[in-house]
Amino acid sequence: MRKDAALAVACLALCLAAPFVGEPLSGENAAFILWQLRLPRVLMGLIAGGALSLVGGTYQTIFANPLASESTVGTLAGATLGAVIALVFGLGSGVAGVPTVAVFAFCGALAVTLLLTAIASSGRASLHSVLLAGVAISLMASALSTGLQYTADLNSMFTAARWSLGHLQQMGYGGIGMVLAFVFPACTLLLWNTRALETLAGGEERAHSQGVDVATLRATCLGAGALAVAACVAVCGPIAFVGLIVPHLTRLLVGASRRRLLPWSLVLGGTFLVACDALARAAWPGRELPVGVVTAALGAPALVWLISRRNP
Amino acid sequence: MLEFDRVSVRVRGVPLLRDVSLKLAPGDFVALLGPNGAGKTTLIRTALGLLPAAEGRVRLGGQDVRRLSGRQRAAQAAWLPQHHRFHEEVSALDLAAAARFRFIETRQASLDAARAALTRAGAAEFAARLVSRLSGGEQQRVAFGCLLAQQAPLLLLDEPANHLDPAQQVSLYRLIGDCWQQGLGVLCITHDVNLLAHAARGRESSVRILGVQCGSLAFESRLDAPDLGPRLSELFGLRLGEARLEGRRVFLPAEVAP
Repeated sequence: MRKDAALAVACLALCLAAPFVGEPLSGENAAFILWQLRLPRVLMGLIAGGALSLVGGTYQTIFANPLASESTVGTLAGATLGAVIALVFGLGSGVAGVPTVAVFAFCGALAVTLLLTAIASSGRASLHSVLLAGVAISLMASALSTGLQYTADLNSMFTAARWSLGHLQQMGYGGIGMVLAFVFPACTLLLWNTRALETLAGGEERAHSQGVDVATLRATCLGAGALAVAACVAVCGPIAFVGLIVPHLTRLLVGASRRRLLPWSLVLGGTFLVACDALARAAWPGRELPVGVVTAALGAPALVWLISRRNP
Repeated sequence: MLEFDRVSVRVRGVPLLRDVSLKLAPGDFVALLGPNGAGKTTLIRTALGLLPAAEGRVRLGGQDVRRLSGRQRAAQAAWLPQHHRFHEEVSALDLAAAARFRFIETRQASLDAARAALTRAGAAEFAARLVSRLSGGEQQRVAFGCLLAQQAPLLLLDEPANHLDPAQQVSLYRLIGDCWQQGLGVLCITHDVNLLAHAARGRESSVRILGVQCGSLAFESRLDAPDLGPRLSELFGLRLGEARLEGRRVFLPAEVAP
């Protein structure tokens, strides 16, 4: 209990400090920078990081595989393909006020995951095969994106490359409302199923005998996860490694029981992304690193360190 | 409560069960014996709706098992699988609480019932320990605790004495006997007919023995039947000798392989 409280306080402190990291806030623009640039950015980091991690932890449970995450099941690659199509073909400026890139990224992420959900619920493929299919779809989508970028002009190639690194920069709160509209119901649905996921973690057939409707649970979680991730990726780009690494960090901190792991993944994932983004602003004065670079560069060594400390 | 009506099961065209009929009423004790690969585990998996019946009907609690909802199914029968796969680092108590998925209840109620079930299974001392760090025998006790935590009227046991030393085997069969005394139905796969006496404890004539061979039921008998030895010998293709030991009849392989 005391450890939980300490963890919660640490998360809160990090999030409160994050808006003040970076170029010093001074002069007449300070209020605008704080309220219209920094704060929305922190909020977006919290939402996206939390959602990506919760979905990652859920995917690891439903695939019974520690390497399952939105990057391995192809959600991120699908989003990237969608965005690259929109950028390379210069498709319009927006649909109902939402940038075309975001709409295409959303559709790409959703299409890939729904394809995988269909394969998973057909009942013809084993769990490992479904994950393998996800990796294959992911590689195919990446190849298509690369091919498209290769044929494109320099300008859109550059934009696409930057987009695919992930970013949290934005102005105002419009994007947040849009993302939250998908992420909130999806994450609520995932957390609602925590008890079933906890039982599922004990083994698929055992969970079946204990009353879990495994096929329905799997389809629900894949679908809800796809919605949440698609919304995040549409606005922030494919931020790599968060969904893969944070659930493992969380497991090492709070234990493997899904009742604790999943809610804490949400909290720690959000904090992790906010901290990485603050670091991306502060690390290189005068410039900004893409946040996806920081998440991977920071998350991977942290995980290796925790694993080596845990199992001497 | 469990009824097989001329059930055949095929997986990718390979017949695993052929024309199996079986009735298990509340309070029945049925032991399934047979050589490896005879279809005993398949029968339990079919009873749980994990495998579809190609022909015939499987009823659990009076209804087609494949039409029951998950929670309805879990309210009818609980299962102790042959192998456990406890990779996850969760405590025994969390695992037993997770086994109570069928109950809509508070976390506290889950924990209380889980703790009581682990205590009955003799696993109370492991409650706070991580299941993945327990020995095979300790894991089996925890698994039995999970089975009891589900509070189903029918226990489907797949070689429950797996991984246990002789003293633990006897105490587990005594526990199974206790559950049976209290009115639970038991369907138990075993290779050791002698262990059944520790569950029966004077009710040998009520313990039904089903011989399974090549996916069919070869015979039905009772634990106290005079001709059980010859029938088992035929089932396993091995001559079993009988002896009396402290008032009990025991069967032992009488042949040493040439």
